Amino acid sequence: MRVVVGEDSVLVREGLVRLLGEAGFEVVAQAGDAEELVREVSAHRPDVAVVDIRMPPTETDDGLRAAIEIRRRMPQTGVLVLSQYLEEGYALELVADSAEGTGYLLKDRVADVERFADSVRRVGEGGSALDPEVVAHLLGRRRRDDPLARLTKREREVLALMAEGRSNQAIAEQLVVTERAVEKHVTSIFGKLALMPAAADHRRVLAVLTFLRSQ
Amino acid sequence: MTNDRPSVAQLEALLAEQAALRRVATLVAGDPDAGRLFEGVCEEVGRVLGVDSANITRFEDDGTQTVVGAWAVGGAPWFPAGERVPIDGETVSGKLRRTGRPQRVDEYAGVRGELVRRLQAVGIKSAVGAPVTVAGRVWGGIVASSGRPHAFPEGAEHRLADFAELVTAALANVDAREQLAASRARIVQAGYEERRRLGRDLHDGAQQDLVGAMISLRLAQRRLAQAPDEAGEFVEEALEHMETGIRDLRELASGIHPSVLTDRGLSVALETLAGRSPMPVELGEMPPQRLPAPVETSAYFVVAEALTNAARHARCSHAYVGVRVEDGSATVEVRDDGVGGADASAGSGLRGLADRVSALGGRLEIESPSGKGTTIRARIALGAPETDRGAVRLGRGRQPPTYG
Repeated sequence: MRVVVGEDSVLVREGLVRLLGEAGFEVVAQAGDAEELVREVSAHRPDVAVVDIRMPPTETDDGLRAAIEIRRRMPQTGVLVLSQYLEEGYALELVADSAEGTGYLLKDRVADVERFADSVRRVGEGGSALDPEVVAHLLGRRRRDDPLARLTKREREVLALMAEGRSNQAIAEQLVVTERAVEKHVTSIFGKLALMPAAADHRRVLAVLTFLRSQ
Repeated sequence: MTNDRPSVAQLEALLAEQAALRRVATLVAGDPDAGRLFEGVCEEVGRVLGVDSANITRFEDDGTQTVVGAWAVGGAPWFPAGERVPIDGETVSGKLRRTGRPQRVDEYAGVRGELVRRLQAVGIKSAVGAPVTVAGRVWGGIVASSGRPHAFPEGAEHRLADFAELVTAALANVDAREQLAASRARIVQAGYEERRRLGRDLHDGAQQDLVGAMISLRLAQRRLAQAPDEAGEFVEEALEHMETGIRDLRELASGIHPSVLTDRGLSVALETLAGRSPMPVELGEMPPQRLPAPVETSAYFVVAEALTNAARHARCSHAYVGVRVEDGSATVEVRDDGVGGADASAGSGLRGLADRVSALGGRLEIESPSGKGTTIRARIALGAPETDRGAVRLGRGRQPPTYG
């Protein structure tokens, strides 16, 4: 799988490139600012761009804006945004229209190489990867007449993993249950939250996030 | 020739009085030192009324009065500034305090009391006075005295009232200045306290974790050759320390200034804030566009503090947050349905908010009747609108990239 890395800190960028290389990815280009990133992505058309949220030139959220731009103009390239902020707002903005091929992870997640590689792969294949802590915050919002209160503990766990962008198979593995059992939970959750069932994982992510945000 | 026309002498007196009032008004506007100001007013009063002495006194709660300004013909006043004297019933000051209206005593002979004895001892025979009223209450008085009985023409006490009004204005100025100074001092103090807290959090949190990680890595390093398994365990430990440290730093940085507030503005930042509150928070009206950065920051921290207070003290089941922009100002409102009884003077949190809001030319109102919830409303002037936000943010005159 071909990757472009956008990260302005040389130290972190080299670390990322090494990590990705060791995990079996081919890093085809590197960029130190958002403009360069968009240029490199458009030149190399990688499967996924791994992007630091804060980059030059403005040192604010250039990485995020570049990622959204890449999704819009080059839909065959997925974007995984690495962020030092536990901030639902950014993540929700990234997946605003479609969760397909998007990811938002806290930066320190890269240290867990296997899970990080799994996220990169998922995003590169058109899936999504939302940080578990961001999801936890969304789920943790207090709501009046909280519809989430109608979910069982296990259903909440399944909902969280769905929101992260996991497939039924991945959820089954994580919770050590059968895929069939996960499917039943999913059906029950969608019923309790009055959501339309969605076939593709990334559509499911969007449905769940939209629900969590609107409440 | 008619009798109604004022004489030349009367006209001159009137002009002198107007000039004196103007000089006092200038003093009031310009001199930040209340003591010198009172001195100056007494002198003007003394000269324009042609009396032997003039005093300004402040009425104390214990039934005495303190001389705050004094002037006398030929120098040394009979009652110098700083002296405490009693207030007797039928003296001018006693009547001022009782009635709050201009007063006169034309003949002190026959009047009784301790103060009267002291007045008579220095030779005062008659006096007029006008009250100085601050915030609806008689604060003190301005009194002109003479060594002759019946020395004051009719209405002299009312002419004195014009000077007393200027003193009132001066006191309002002094009061405003003192409040401003106190508010500034509190802001500075709050800044220091914040630094102290940040320092402590850094030392106790991230720094400890980094030290822990370093120790673990050193231990791992020593065992690399002989005991690689043990080394692996120490590396694992180091990673755990690092994880905790990074989380601490993230939370600390976010508490200092949430990046989303700068990047995305108030409404997105408030959504996160509301989402993290321990009670349900309904978001109402939000500004349709970005507001000047200081306004957004203040509004954000008003909401943050108000929600924290609500969660801690209000015992509420839910809260409401709204920001309305109109008439060149933003009004931030945070309501809860809790127990009420919040008091800005009690906790430093609310007073700190009031200080910060007023530093931006705004006002903080707290309505918190017992048992009926709390509403905190901050009105912050938008000031000069930031027309080119991008350029301001970039700081180097660059436009935000469009990647087009």
